Amino acid sequence: MNRKTLSFGVLLTALSTYLWAQEPVLNAPGTVSAGQSVKLAAQGHGSATFYLVGPNRVVKRKISLGEEIEIAAEDLKIAGKYQAIACNGGNCGNTQFNVVASQPAQLIFFLHPSRVPVSSGNAVNATALVLDREKNMVLSPAKVNFKIDLPDGSSSTRTVPATRGIASFAMDSRSRQGKVQVTASIDDVSEPRVIQQVAAEACGLRMTASPAGRFVTFQTDPIRDCGGNPLPDGTIVSFTKTDSTGRSTVDSPIKKDRAVARFEVSGSAKVSVACGVVVGNELSLGGAQ
Amino acid sequence: MRQPTRTLWSLGIAVAIVVAASLASSVRADANLPRVVMTAEGIGPRQIEQRTGETVTHDYAQAWHDIAESLNSNRTDLLGEYLTGDCRKQLSQRIADQKRAGIRTEFVDNGHDVKAVFYSLDGGIMQLEDRAKLDTQVFDGQRTIYTGNSTHFYLVLMTPGADRWLIRSLQEVPEKAF
Repeated sequence: MNRKTLSFGVLLTALSTYLWAQEPVLNAPGTVSAGQSVKLAAQGHGSATFYLVGPNRVVKRKISLGEEIEIAAEDLKIAGKYQAIACNGGNCGNTQFNVVASQPAQLIFFLHPSRVPVSSGNAVNATALVLDREKNMVLSPAKVNFKIDLPDGSSSTRTVPATRGIASFAMDSRSRQGKVQVTASIDDVSEPRVIQQVAAEACGLRMTASPAGRFVTFQTDPIRDCGGNPLPDGTIVSFTKTDSTGRSTVDSPIKKDRAVARFEVSGSAKVSVACGVVVGNELSLGGAQ
Repeated sequence: MRQPTRTLWSLGIAVAIVVAASLASSVRADANLPRVVMTAEGIGPRQIEQRTGETVTHDYAQAWHDIAESLNSNRTDLLGEYLTGDCRKQLSQRIADQKRAGIRTEFVDNGHDVKAVFYSLDGGIMQLEDRAKLDTQVFDGQRTIYTGNSTHFYLVLMTPGADRWLIRSLQEVPEKAF
């Protein structure tokens, strides 16, 4: 081996060692949309091990430095910070990039409560989460439309801007009982929810008495709330009799708008009626009614 | 006399619940938990009750403790019971991938500055912004392939479970998102 060849060999070895000792340099776009593939530039020479560490995925594979590294859309579905690492021997280089949510494609919509008394202030609340097709929260400005369909057939719309992916509002329940449908929508995505508006507390609760021998039957007038909505069948009405023997109560469910109770009455007695927190009239028996 | 913290909550002023300071009784039992400081300034539409704030703070710290343990040891069973839904699914997937690739991730958790920003009227959803100071190391076998120490920004969704608050979504976002 002559000196020239030897020198060339030494130079080649030194160059190889130098290149081997260089850490790979990776370049990535700062931001990538979720579910889209991306190409990273990998500077350097020779082969290396490439790692991608993301919120839900870790990828490890061999790459050739100097060539682009393609990361599949499948590995970039979840929004978050991704660390790309390339190691050449003992030297590692890295870069990071953010995967952000793509276009709104899903809504998670909550409408509470499922049953609400009529005419209650801020009693209905709606919360919609704006997500892309991979269920990432969409943080870019978006407006959610809420269409409210009422029992009387009328409807209205409310537009609420989403903040950090959440659009929320509260509304009063209306005066008529029945189903209320609220449909949240954004672009061509919509999610309907239905709640039931039910009668509120009884209003003007009143009963009459019908004596028949030793017994007296007490019957309420049709029981309605202050908006004229009938209280549902099964709602409990309490009749309480107070006389010289003490106090006794009969709980009676509403049937066809009315509740009925029968007491045996001897001597003077007082009978009162109540439904929920509402107290009705009181009747005195055994004397003037 | 009312406690100062309670007064702050009721006034709706910035509230700080420092696990290491104001919950002294919890600190001894939970000495391994990362530091979590939560404020609720400007939260809406519902205010956070003091007890709820304390519970969320504790449960969030516990969840991060579990995340660090499971990513370090590649064990999904250590994910614990403070993560649910897609959040749990994603971390389980990552652990499975780490295991397959022979790598693991080690966190030194230097604390979380958490701001509660949304609490739904029905109490069913709470959204948090977390500035997490994490020292991260990624190992391939015994070899360190990545070291980083920086502040990470997470947008978090938590929902109440039977006896605890659960992380349902833990999305790392660019700083400008806050």
